[in-house]
Amino acid sequence: MASSSVVELSRWQFAITAIFHMTFPALTVGLSLLLAVAYTVYVRTGNPLYLQIFRFWKKIFAVGFGLGVVAGTVMTFEFGLNWGIYAHAVGPVIGVTIGMEVITAFFLEAGFIGIMLYGDGRVKPRTMALASWMVAAGTLLSTTWILSANSWMQDPAGYTEADGQFHVTDWWQVLLNPAFGYRFPHMLLAVLISASWFVGGISAWYLVKRRASALPFARRTLSMALGVLAILMPVQLYVGDATAIFMGGRQPAKLQAFEGNWTTDNNDYNLVVIPDTDQGKNDLRVGIPYLGAAIGHDLTGEAKVPGLLRTPPDERPNMWSAFYGFRAMYFTALAMFAAAFAGLVLRLRGRLFTSPRFLRWLVWMTPAGVIAITGGWITAEAGRQPWVVYGKLRTADAVSHLNLTEAALSLTGFVLLYATLLTLWIRYIVRTVKAGPEPVVDLRPGRPEVSGV
Amino acid sequence: MSEYLTYALVLLSLGAYVVLDGYDLGVGILSLLDRGERRRREYTELIATAWDANESWIILGGVALWAGLPGAYATVLPGVYPPLIAMLFAVILRGMGLEFQSASGTYRRGWGLLFGLASLAVTLCQGLVIGAVLSGLPQRGGHFTGDALAWLTPYSVLCALGLVCLYLLAGAAWLQDKTEGTAHEWAGRLGRPLLGATVVAALVLGFGLEAADPQYFHFEQPLRATLFGLAVAAAVVCSAVAWYGFGRRPDWRPFAAVLGAEAAGLLALVAATAPVVVPPSLTLHEASSPPGSQVFLVVGVGLCMPFVLAYNIYAWWVFRGKFREAGRRSPTTTAPDDGSAGPFVPPTEPRVVVIVRRTLLTLLGILLAAVSQDIFGGESAWVDPLGVALLSGTALIAWILGDRRAQRLGEYDLPGGERP
Ligand code: HDD
Ligand code: HEM
Ligand code: HEM
Repeated sequence: MASSSVVELSRWQFAITAIFHMTFPALTVGLSLLLAVAYTVYVRTGNPLYLQIFRFWKKIFAVGFGLGVVAGTVMTFEFGLNWGIYAHAVGPVIGVTIGMEVITAFFLEAGFIGIMLYGDGRVKPRTMALASWMVAAGTLLSTTWILSANSWMQDPAGYTEADGQFHVTDWWQVLLNPAFGYRFPHMLLAVLISASWFVGGISAWYLVKRRASALPFARRTLSMALGVLAILMPVQLYVGDATAIFMGGRQPAKLQAFEGNWTTDNNDYNLVVIPDTDQGKNDLRVGIPYLGAAIGHDLTGEAKVPGLLRTPPDERPNMWSAFYGFRAMYFTALAMFAAAFAGLVLRLRGRLFTSPRFLRWLVWMTPAGVIAITGGWITAEAGRQPWVVYGKLRTADAVSHLNLTEAALSLTGFVLLYATLLTLWIRYIVRTVKAGPEPVVDLRPGRPEVSGV
Repeated sequence: MSEYLTYALVLLSLGAYVVLDGYDLGVGILSLLDRGERRRREYTELIATAWDANESWIILGGVALWAGLPGAYATVLPGVYPPLIAMLFAVILRGMGLEFQSASGTYRRGWGLLFGLASLAVTLCQGLVIGAVLSGLPQRGGHFTGDALAWLTPYSVLCALGLVCLYLLAGAAWLQDKTEGTAHEWAGRLGRPLLGATVVAALVLGFGLEAADPQYFHFEQPLRATLFGLAVAAAVVCSAVAWYGFGRRPDWRPFAAVLGAEAAGLLALVAATAPVVVPPSLTLHEASSPPGSQVFLVVGVGLCMPFVLAYNIYAWWVFRGKFREAGRRSPTTTAPDDGSAGPFVPPTEPRVVVIVRRTLLTLLGILLAAVSQDIFGGESAWVDPLGVALLSGTALIAWILGDRRAQRLGEYDLPGGERP
C-alpha cells in the first residue's frame, strides 16, 4: 500500500491538471461551432463580415486548441503514471472508452485542424467549411466519450469484478450508464454556455469601448452569443436540477456535502458554511430559511435537507470542496441566468447594443462559464471521494508504487508550468482582443478564398 | 488470440508515432542549429499543420496499451515515471513555443528557442523510456515494484542518443522534401553524416540489447529468424537509397527511404522480441484484459481506421509540395480608434417608469429562474418543463426578430462595405 502522502500529492496533481485541461475545452468546443457556422455563412452569402469573424476567433481558438491538446495528452498518461492500480483495474472498461474517443474524436480533430487553420487559399472554401465542421464534430464526440467514461466511474454499471479487475458484461450499460444520461447534457450545455459568455463578453468590450471599426463585428457576435444564452440558460438550470436530484439519489454523501449540512434538521438553503470536519458540525452557517426545502421540491417548506452525519466517517467526502465547488457553480449560474434574461428583455426593447451598463456587466461575465465549469467538476469529483470508482475502488487504494520525491517533483513542475502557461494564455487573449478584428477593407483586394468558388 | 491483435494495434500506433512525430521533432531540433530567423520560422510553420495529427498516434498507442494490456500499462508507466513526466513537460513547452510562435506572425526568438529545446528534450526522454523498457523493469503480477531510478541504465542513455540521431535524420530528409534554397541545401548536406551516425547507433543498440538483457532474443524459431533477417535487409536497402538520395533530386526520395528504413527497423525489433511486452518476464497473456474488451477495442478501432487514414492522407496531400507562406497575416498592433463611435445616447424616460419596470422585471426574472429549477416539480410534473420551453421559445423568436431588425437598420454592415 502506498503512503498517504503519495496519494495526497497524486490527487492534487490530478485535480490541477484536469481542471487546467478543462478550461480549454470549455472554450474550444463552443468556438469550433462558432467558427464552422461563421465560415459556412461566409461561403453561402459572401458577406465579408463573417470572414472577419472567422479570422478573429480563429486566432484565439488556434492557440487554445493547441494548449488543450498538450494538456489533454498529459491526462491520458497520468492514469497510468500516478494511478497504476486504478489503471490496471479499469483498463478493460475506461481504457476502451477512451480508446474509442482517440480514434473517433481526436484523430478527427487533429486531421482537419491543419486544413481549418492553414488552409486559407490552398483549398476551396467549401473544403474549409467542411474541415471546420469536422473539427467541431470531433470536439463534440470527444465530450461525449469522456463524459461516458467519467460517468461510469461516478455510477458504474454493466460489469463484474474478477482478479482485481472490472470485466464488462454489457457494453450498452457501460457506455450509456445511468449517470451519463444526466451528466452529458449538463456538460454539453455547460461548454456551449461558457464559450458563449466568452464571445459575448469580448464582443461587449468593443461596444463599451465604442470602437467604430469593430462595431458591426461586435454586434453580430454579441447577438449570436446572447441568442444562444437566452435559449440555453433556462434549459441548463432545469438539467442541473435534475442532475442534482439524480446524483443525490446515487451518491447521497455528495448531496449532503454540497448542501453543507451535518445534521438533518434544517430546511434552509445554506449560503456560507464553515465546516468542522473532525467534530462533524458547522462553526458558522448562513442560510435562507425554507429555500432549501423549496429547491428540494417541497413548497410547504417542511422537508429537511439531509446531513453528512448520515454517512459513515470513512465514506465522507470533504465538505469544503464539495460545498464551495457547488456554490461557485450555482451562484455563477444565477448571475448567468439574470444576465441572459436581461439580454432578452433588452433585445425585445431594441436596446441590446446601446445599454452601457448591461454591456459592462457582460464584460465581467466573460469568464463566468469557465468558473461554473470548474466549480461543477470540483463538486462532481470531490463529492465522489473517497472513491475513485464509486462504491468499488477507493482512491487511496488506486495509486501507483511511487516514491514521495517523484510525486512531489512532478506536482511542483506542473504547478509552475501551468501557472506560467495560464498567464501567457490570458496575456495572449488580452493582446489579441486589444488588437481587434482585422480591418475588413484589407481583407478584400485579391481575396484568394473567393476566387476558387 | 485477441491479445495478439491488440498487441499489433499498440505496436502499429507506436510505430506510426515514431515514424511521423520523429520527423517533426527532428525538424524542431534542427531549428536550433539553423541561424536564419526566417528559416527558423519556416520550420515551425511547416510543423504547425501536422504536429497534432502526428502526436495523436502516441495517444492512441498509450490508450490502446491501457485498454488492451492494462498489466503492461500499469507496470511500464510508474516504472518510467521521471522520464515520462519530463517528456510530458517538454511536450507542453513545445506546444506552447509552437503555438505562440505561429500566432505571433513574425519570428520570436524566445518561442523559437523554446520550441527547439523542447523538441530535443522530448526526444531524449522518449529514448530513455524506450531504453528502460527494453532493458527490463522490476515488476510482479502486473504492478511495478522497482525504485525511482530503475529507468536509468547505460542502455537507456545510449538509446536516448540514438533516438536523437534517428529523428535528426528524419527531420533532415523532410526538410529536403519540403523546403527550397538555403535550408534545402543544408538538409541535403546533413543527411549523410546523420545517416552514418544512425547506423552506428543502431548497431551499438542492437548488440547492446543482447548484453543488457541476454535472455531476450529468441531466434530458435525459423519464422522469427527469417522475418528478422528480411526486415534487417529491407532496412539496409532503404538506408542505401537514402544515402544516395540526399542532396539529389527527386527531393522526396530520402524522406521516403528514411520512413521505409524506420518501419523495417521497428519490424526487426518486434520480430526479435515478441511476445514479451515488459522484459524480462511479463508476457502478453498475463498483461492483457479480458477478450471482450480486446475485441471491442480492436473492432472499433479497426472500423474507424480506414477513415482515419483516408483523411490523414488527404490532409497530408493538401499541404504537399514545397512550403508556402499561408494566408497573409497582419502584425498585431492596437487599433487607435477607441471611442471613435461616439458616446452612448441615454434614453429619456421618467424615473418612475424606469423603477417600476425594473422591479417588475426583476420579480419576473426570479420567478422564471425558480421555474427553470423545477421548483414546482413536487406539485406537478409538467408546469416547469412547459415554463422552460416557453421561455426558451420566446428567446428564440426574439433572437430571430431582433436580428432581422438589426439587419434592416444596417447594424451589421461593415463600414464602407457593400451590402451583399
Ligand atoms: C468537455 C469536453 C472535454 C473533457 C471533459 C475532457 N476533454 Fe480532453 N479534449 C477535449 C474535450 C474534453 C477537446 C475539445 O476535444 C480537446 C480540448 C483541447 C482541444 O482543444 O481538444 C481535448 C483534447 C484532449 C487530448 C488531446 C487530443 C488530440 O491530440 O487532439 C487528450 C489526450 C485529452 N483531451 C484527454 C482527456 C482526458 C484524459 C480527460 C479527462 C480527465 C479529458 N480529456 C477531459
Ligand atoms: C473529464 C474531465 C475531468 C475533470 C475536469 C476532473 C476533475 C477532477 C477534479 C476537480 C478532481 C479533484 C477532486 C478533489 O478535490 O480531490 C479530480 C480528481 C480525480 N479524478 Fe477527475 N476529472 C475528470 C475526469 C476524470 C476521469 C475521466 C477520471 C478517470 C478515468 C478521473 C479520475 C480522477 C482521479 C483518480 C482523481 C484523484 C482523486 C482526487 O483527487 O480526489 N477524473 N478530478
Ligand atoms: C442551477 C443550476 C445548476 C445546478 C443545480 C447544477 C447542478 C450540478 C450538480 C449536482 C453537479 C454534480 C453532478 C455529479 O455529481 O456528477 C453538477 C456538475 C457540473 N456542473 Fe452544474 N449545475 C447548475 C448549473 C451549471 C452551469 C450554469 C454550468 C456551466 C456553465 C455547470 C457546469 C457543471 C459542470 C461542468 C459539472 C461537472 C460535470 C458533471 O458532473 O456533469 N452547471 N452540476
